[in-house]
Amino acid sequence: MRSFMHNMRGASVFPILLTVAGATALFLLPNFVESTYALHIMILIFISVIMGTGWNILGGYTGQYSVGHAAYFGIGAYTTLILMQYHQVAPWYGVWAGVVVAVAIALVVGSICFRLRGPYFVLASIAVAEIFRVTALNLRLTNGAEGILITDIPPFKIGNAVVTDFMSKVPFYYIGLVILIFAIIVTWMVQNSKLGYYFQAIREDQDAAHSLGINLTTYKNAALAISVVFTSMAGSLYGLYVGFIDPSTVLALDLSVHIVMICIIGGIGTIWGPAIGAVILVPFSEALRSNMIAQALIDSGIISENSRIGAFLKDQLSHAHVLIYGILLVIVILYMPDGILGFARKLLAKRRKEAA
Amino acid sequence: MAVFFQSLISGILIGGVYALIGIGLTIIFGVMRVINFAHGDLLMVGMYLTYFLFRLLHIDPFVSIIVTIPLMFLYGAFLQKFFINRVLDALPQNQILLTIGLGLVMSNTVMLAFTSDYRILTTAYSSSSLRLLGLSISVPLLISFTITLVITAVLYWFLYRTDTGQAIRATAQDRSAAQLMGINVKRMSIIAFGLGAALAGTAGALISPTYYIYPQVGSVFTLKAFVITVLGGMGSIVGATLGGVLIGVVESVGGVYVGSGWKDVVVFIVFLLVLLFKPSGLLGTSKD
Amino acid sequence: MAILEIKHVSKFFGGLAANSNVSFEMAQGMIMGLIGPNGAGKTTLFNCITGYYPPSQGDVIFDGHRMNGLHPDAVCKLGMARTWQKVRPLAKMSVVDNVMVGALCRTNSLKVAREMAIERIKIVGLENRAKVLAGSLPIGERKKLEVARVLATQPKLLLLDEVMGGLNPTESEEIIQLILDIKEIGITQMVIEHDMKAIMRISDRIVVLSSGEKLAEGNPQEIVSNKAVVDAYLGGD
Repeated sequence: MRSFMHNMRGASVFPILLTVAGATALFLLPNFVESTYALHIMILIFISVIMGTGWNILGGYTGQYSVGHAAYFGIGAYTTLILMQYHQVAPWYGVWAGVVVAVAIALVVGSICFRLRGPYFVLASIAVAEIFRVTALNLRLTNGAEGILITDIPPFKIGNAVVTDFMSKVPFYYIGLVILIFAIIVTWMVQNSKLGYYFQAIREDQDAAHSLGINLTTYKNAALAISVVFTSMAGSLYGLYVGFIDPSTVLALDLSVHIVMICIIGGIGTIWGPAIGAVILVPFSEALRSNMIAQALIDSGIISENSRIGAFLKDQLSHAHVLIYGILLVIVILYMPDGILGFARKLLAKRRKEAA
Repeated sequence: MAVFFQSLISGILIGGVYALIGIGLTIIFGVMRVINFAHGDLLMVGMYLTYFLFRLLHIDPFVSIIVTIPLMFLYGAFLQKFFINRVLDALPQNQILLTIGLGLVMSNTVMLAFTSDYRILTTAYSSSSLRLLGLSISVPLLISFTITLVITAVLYWFLYRTDTGQAIRATAQDRSAAQLMGINVKRMSIIAFGLGAALAGTAGALISPTYYIYPQVGSVFTLKAFVITVLGGMGSIVGATLGGVLIGVVESVGGVYVGSGWKDVVVFIVFLLVLLFKPSGLLGTSKD
Repeated sequence: MAILEIKHVSKFFGGLAANSNVSFEMAQGMIMGLIGPNGAGKTTLFNCITGYYPPSQGDVIFDGHRMNGLHPDAVCKLGMARTWQKVRPLAKMSVVDNVMVGALCRTNSLKVAREMAIERIKIVGLENRAKVLAGSLPIGERKKLEVARVLATQPKLLLLDEVMGGLNPTESEEIIQLILDIKEIGITQMVIEHDMKAIMRISDRIVVLSSGEKLAEGNPQEIVSNKAVVDAYLGGD
């Protein structure tokens, strides 16, 4: 009985302690890690977690599976970069301008599309994103298919003191980390509020939710707006960090699918699902992309570089990251529809039952 | 005016192929209520099959559909039996994601095996055309359109005149009622997905002499297939046939008058409007 | 004063009339039984009253408000709540969370909502199941959950659509007691039910629908001795 009580109390304090410890470690990390490649991977993970966490509010908690979130990622990125490149607006204002534009557009889209349900909503979300992609391809404002290449980011000053000149990866790391923590905190707040209850009620049964006094359009739009804030911020951060955006990277259907996948693989409708999904997917696909895995297999002597398989892997494995995504997605949907987090929880619950 | 008729006739000819793509998707949706996001990728597999049959065995692309159709049918049936059938009771979202995953696996396997190079299948008649009433008609498009007509006719005969076809349509109309009437719904689903895959594959074969062949070509056609089936009314075979021709014409004529850059925007806006205001399709009867 | 007035309500689907020219009134605190053969238009009338769709003709007046065209969420906020013939648990949420969703209609505080929810859960007798996922409840408990959830919205008028459907006699008896308890609290109820014995026991008045029209209205004694009603039921079978 005593150990049970202990467990109960530990259960509520332990995750908070762990989260604080994790965040502190992440804040200190750049002091110990010299490798810019490691920082690069971390920044990519942060961006993925931010956009996944954003999608999760709408898709995971509210059950509205948008497969068009690239639209808001792209709108954030384009707004920030256009303002900076052509109108000399500093990006720390531009990011917020991106958020405002993206949310405004999202609310218009939401008011129109949220009357659709299930597969019809999915199709509409794709159509909307495609409209934005093709528009960006054709507008002069967005520089068409050539995209926007930024030359340099103005240094960030407070008064006259230069805080950062954005010459290294470190400032992007910290900006990403701060937005990420902000996104996680907002998700936590949503989950523990009336909004969270209403979002989940809508996900579980729209008609029942409606009859219990929930205005579906209002709350779906609220979920969309919160969701788009982070998706847009992720887009702005991506654009500033990479320094180049074009319709086929920041407005692509592939990106929309990628956002959903992060959440599905990690576990939707949970605070940490998107983070887990990103931590698994991003390094893995980067390792494949940069041929690290093939090289490691060859270096470790498992496969000879001169054998046919070795040569094939060396040439081709770097292209296989999307294939692995696809296989992962199929496995997750068939065998762990609640994502890795849900799967782990089930295993844990099973263990406990067996132990008891 | 000649320009208009020229683009109209090209639109109708390519629209026949679009109709095949749309009918395949709509049969799958009708029977299983699953939106197949891998539809374009099935078409892509059909293209590669045709390409290699031509390259390695020198079989003419229009003849090779005799091989492509049964192969693609078996492939579709396989996908249904081992993958899609397992998520029929899952959330529609998860079904969609499963087909997205399968599509990614298909396109990227092809890319790994054959690289992402663009390939062209050139036949003796690839760029030849007939002149008729002052209009020039592309020979490969004309042949493919003729084949489309034959296949569509056979398909209608199958769906409306055979027992299996009627069982498929019954399943599409009301799955649980069909089950009560003793129809093997799982088997119908396998046949339906096989048919859908065969039609997509055939469409791929028919356009391979006139299109670039590359692993990612599918996504363009998946989106087109959605537009066609939504315009025709999800699940309606007649609707998909007409929707296919309509999209072919809109693209072709729109490309001339709106400019090829913006025509897709127009197509998607129409698509959204139909979804919102006429979800039963342009021809469908409204339920209000 | 009547809490609910149904005035000449008709509902057409295409050319078909699911309800035609139905009128009746409900007094504060009463239990009204709504009966009729399958396809008589009972659930359609429920849907018209609760804003699921507007009536094609006629008016629904609730507590002085004309309800036509109001959406279900607004209807619920005005104090009219309904259960569903086919239960709709929020499957991946716990029992208490389900009821809290109802309670949040009246408060923004989770703490207050939880207290209100626990109170309602006790009324229906699910206090031992509070933390269980709603999706894992058996049908009898799902029906009770449904009632607890609408009670939490603090309705003045409750519309119960076949809450005894699919239940065994013991469970039905529990629901009957529950309906009578709810009446004690002072909440007006309209009840659709197929079990004639049950409906005769609990109802103060009964409206009989047949083919979308009101066939008869009266207290249970009047209804059982009404020749048209008997004919409709015997003829209907």
